[in-house]
This record gives sequence, C-alpha cells and structure tokens, in this order.
Amino acid sequence: MSLVSVLIVASALIGIGLYGALSQQSFVMLMMGLELMLNGGLLAVIGFWSFSLGGAPEGQLLAIIVMAVMAVDMAVGFALVTAVYRKRQADTTESLGTMKH
Amino acid sequence: MGLIDLTFLVLSAIAIVSGWRVFATDSMVRASFLLLLSFTAVGLIILMLAAPYIGIATIFMMAVEMMVMALFMVMFMMNPAGLNPMMMVHQNRFAIGAGIVAFLGLSAAVLTTDFPTDPVDPGRQVIRDLGLEMLGPSMLIFETAGVTLLAAMVGAVVLSARTGRFGPSDEGSRPPGLEVGGEPAGRRVEKASGHGHHHMHDSHVGDEDAQHAEGNPEADGHNADGGESGRRPSLRSDWSAGNRSMTSKTEATS
Amino acid sequence: MTQVLAIMVLPLFLLAGIVAAAVLDRAVPPLVAGRSLKASFVGPITVASSRAMGQTGATEHPDTISWILAPILYFTLAAIGLSVVPFAPGVVAADLDAGIVLWGACESLTVVAVFLHGWSANSPLPLIGAYRYVAIGLPAMLLSMFVLIAAALPAQSLAVTDIVEAQRSVWNIVRQPAGFVLFLMLGLSLSLRGPFDFADPYDLAGGTTAEISGAARLTWWLARLAMLVSVSAMTATVFLGGYLGPVLPGFVWLVVKTGLVLVVLVGAGEVFARLPPDRMMNLIWLALLPLSFLMLVAVGVELLLWG
Repeated sequence: MSLVSVLIVASALIGIGLYGALSQQSFVMLMMGLELMLNGGLLAVIGFWSFSLGGAPEGQLLAIIVMAVMAVDMAVGFALVTAVYRKRQADTTESLGTMKH
Repeated sequence: MGLIDLTFLVLSAIAIVSGWRVFATDSMVRASFLLLLSFTAVGLIILMLAAPYIGIATIFMMAVEMMVMALFMVMFMMNPAGLNPMMMVHQNRFAIGAGIVAFLGLSAAVLTTDFPTDPVDPGRQVIRDLGLEMLGPSMLIFETAGVTLLAAMVGAVVLSARTGRFGPSDEGSRPPGLEVGGEPAGRRVEKASGHGHHHMHDSHVGDEDAQHAEGNPEADGHNADGGESGRRPSLRSDWSAGNRSMTSKTEATS
Repeated sequence: MTQVLAIMVLPLFLLAGIVAAAVLDRAVPPLVAGRSLKASFVGPITVASSRAMGQTGATEHPDTISWILAPILYFTLAAIGLSVVPFAPGVVAADLDAGIVLWGACESLTVVAVFLHGWSANSPLPLIGAYRYVAIGLPAMLLSMFVLIAAALPAQSLAVTDIVEAQRSVWNIVRQPAGFVLFLMLGLSLSLRGPFDFADPYDLAGGTTAEISGAARLTWWLARLAMLVSVSAMTATVFLGGYLGPVLPGFVWLVVKTGLVLVVLVGAGEVFARLPPDRMMNLIWLALLPLSFLMLVAVGVELLLWG
C-alpha cells in the first residue's frame, strides 16, 4: 500500500464513475456515477493526507467537505428528480429535451 | 507482501469490481447496494490509511444514503420490487471511452509525478486534530459547509414540495410512455389524450418504429449509438391492456 | 493480551445474552398474566430445534444471495456493535478512537440488512415490511446519533472507553434522562420489537419473515436477539456507567446492567402498543428529533457552565 497504488485505485473509481455519469439514462443511476466519482476523490484526498501531508488536519477537513458535497448532491439531486417527475412524469434524461431548442 | 498490502489489494478489488457492477447489474436496488459495497471497501481502505473517523463516517453516511437511493430508484422506476431487469444506457461507447481516458490520464499523472513522502505519525491523535481544526482555524470553512447543507435542505424542500407557487406542481402533467414514444404510463391524467395512438398500439413492430420516429425525435438521436436504449421490457401497465380493449371496441363499432 | 481476552469473551457474552433474551421473551407474558414460568425455559429450545429441522421455503425469483446474507449481516452487525463495548477496565475487543461512530455505522447498516431481507424475498408482504422499516428505522437511527453525541460530550472523546470513564462522577442517565429513553426506543427499533416492530409485524403476516421458514427463520430470530443483546450492552455502557460500580468486579456490573436493560426492553416490547407507521413517523420527526436536539443543547450548556 503506497500513495501511488491508492491513487490508481482512486482514478479507477473516478473513471468508472465518469462512465456511469455519461452513459446512464435514469437520473438516479446518473447520480450514482457522480457519487462514485466523489468516492474516488475522497480516497485520493485521504491518500495524500496519509502519505505526503504528515497528517495535517486540513487534509481531513477537505475530506469532510467532500462528504458534505456528497450530501448536498444527493439532497438537491433527489429534489430535482422529484420536481421533474411531478411536472413531466419523467425519469430519464431523454425526456427532458426542451432546453435543447 | 505483507498482510496490509494483501488487505489493501482485496479491498480495492472489491471497491473497483462492485463499482463497475453498479452499471452492469440489471436491478436498481442491487445497483445501489453494490455502490454501498464499493463505498464500504473504500471506507475500510481509508480506515487503513490511519483516518478512522473519516473511514467509518463514510460507511455510516453511505449506508443511509444508499438506502434512500434504493427507495427513490424503486419509486421512480415504476418497478415495485426493483427486481425486474433493465438496461438503460445512451452514448455507451463514448462513455466507455471517456471513462478509460480519465482512468489512464489520471494514472499516467500519478505514475509520472514525484510525490513528497511525509507519512502520518501513527501515534498522532488524528480525530482530536480534526475536531480542533474544524472548530478552530477552519471554523469559517466548516460553518460554510453547514450553511450550504442548510441551503440544500431548504432548496430540496422547496423543489420537491407538491404545492408549487402557482398551484399543485403536478397539474396537467402527462406520464412518459413505457416504450419510447408509447402510451403514457401510470395513472390516467386526461381521458381524451392519446386517442390517436390507439391504432398503432396493437400493430406489428414496423408500425411501432414509425410511431416512435415521429413521436420522439430527440430520443432517436441517441438511439443511433445506444442501440436498444430506453426500452424496459416486461413492464406493461393497465394502460396497454385498457387500450387494447378500447381498440377492439372501436374496431367492432366501425 | 486484554484485547484477545475481550475477543474471546465477546461470543460467550453474545450467546449467553441470546439465551437470556429468548427465555425472557417467553417469560414476560406469563409473568404479566401470573402464570407458571416453567414453559419459558424449555420453550425457546423446542422452537429453535423445530425450526432448525424444518424445511426452508422459497419464492419465485428471489435475490438468493441477499436473502441468505441478510440475517448473517444482521448478526455480524450485532457482534461488531458489541465489540466496542468495554467488558472491564481496558478489556475491549475493538478499542477504536471513533467507537461511537462505529456503533452508528452498525445502526445504519442494520436498516440496510433488514431492508435487504424484506426486499430479496420478491414477495409483497416482506417488501411492505421492509419499506415501513426504512421509513421508521432511518429517523429513529438519526436521533440516536444526537443522543450519542450528547453522551460523548462530557467525555470529550468518541471512544467508548473514555465515555465510560467520564461517568465516574455522574452517569449519563442523570445528565440526559430523555436521551436514555430515546436510546431504548432505538433499541426496540434495531431489534424489531414491540412498538417499533414495523418490519416483522403481525398485521403483515410476519412482514420480512412472511416467506421464510426453517433454518432461515431460526437465523433471523437469532440475529434479532443478538442485536437486542448488543443494544442492551451499549445502553448499559453509554448511560448506566458500563463496568463502573462498587465492590463487585467490573464485568459483573456490566452483566447486571445489561440484563436490567434487557428486561426493560423485552417488557417494553410487550407492554406498549404499536402506532400506525404514518403517526409514528410524525411522532419521530416532529417530537422526538427536536427533543434529542434539546437534550444535546442542554448537555452542552451544562458542561459549559459547570463542566
């Protein structure tokens, strides 16, 4: 276990998350992709903190901020999905094409 | 290779494989719990990286979050048990390419960079440090995160409340079809709408494609690379059954 | 060395607790009704053996892996939760700096385990039980976190051992009596019992257990009892001073206090009626959650002024 191996795992998670965020049609699955990317980011932050920051507390604080971002992403994301579903009964990205024109 | 390295390898394999399976499984509930498994493995890796609070809190938070996510999935997918198969992707090849490029690019950056080495002291009281940092020098950042969360909560309530500013927010909404461009799913909103589609519904596949082309042009653009996108087989509501009987009735009278 | 001792004690503690809880479950109704208690000691054994030998049922297209793993996960979470409890001064299986957070993670994963158990059967009644449990179990778990933070405040630490040591002057039950009651409610919710049994209630024909029989039912039953023991030990540790006490050795005190909480929980499960899920949800979100906030503020103010 070294910084390089941790960061490679993190970048694999970010890559999978990016694939999910770009490829999924369902809003909720799309959000899963975002979460997975944030997961990779969190791992990378803690990896840096643990191996090359000497345990400076600011590194952990950044991880807490990443977790707060996850929570905000979930809350607002689900609220938007609910609002869109109420208005259009839509649950896939394709059904929201009105902003394109 | 020591025990720590072996544990790390196993955990990262679990994290990556379950992360990939999230987008390859055919049930939404399974997908969200696979994501939880991935998060748990990452949380345990973080625990091994000498950050016990962050690691366990990640598991704790993600368990709640994925639970809620599974519920939302089932709610919006019109699939009560979340056990029915589904495959809903668009621009699949492009997304795979982007994911691989992101992984390779980041890995290349990691491998070519020379990182400073300053590992955390095992005897350090990291949780105490974090607490003092949060409520000491970085209090403003911490408070900002708190206020952001509050704003997100208010925004979530406003967005998801049924009573909109101009009356109920779901007034006059029409459900999307179970097939692309098909009959509205779920409850019937208006009796009169969708009458023109009845003749097409029972006809063979060619007609359905024609209807699909005229009904939903923007969906077709994505279909070119996604193949059989947006199709949810084995999901038929009483709409189709009702229409079928209505169609036969109109045919009988005409 | 003490850690090894604690790891060896833990399964014995859990086993003894499960037996005690099973007997208590049987003993409380006749006790209330004034009948003979003779049947309550043999009853659990006959039930367990008949279940172990019974046939295991199946449904159409269940999620087999989750169905088998959910009770095991539930039981494991009970054991992990118990591992942060110090049995005697310095004797603790997992001496983590963030012990309370680990317990919280066990609580939230319990909700996941119960949901999986109901969902994976692919059958209506278990699924309804699972949904109801998530709706009630999540907020119940949420407010327990405020209660636990209030318990950790006087100790100025998230480690359970420090929380016990901080109770030498005054037990946490005196500091926050309402928090103690709220934590007992969480105990009922985590072990799917009495007024908080929204996962396996009778009105859903057993809820998540409606489709299981034989050994699967036995495992689930054992896991529920294990969680009950774990919650009791945690309550005794966080609110009743754990191993602290005069004359007797620490471990005996912990066992006595855990047993006391166990009796209270089993009794509460028998005595109190279950509210409909929507009213229970209103009660939790509108009354109990603000109450837990207030307790947290009260403990904070108390420590600021006199601490």
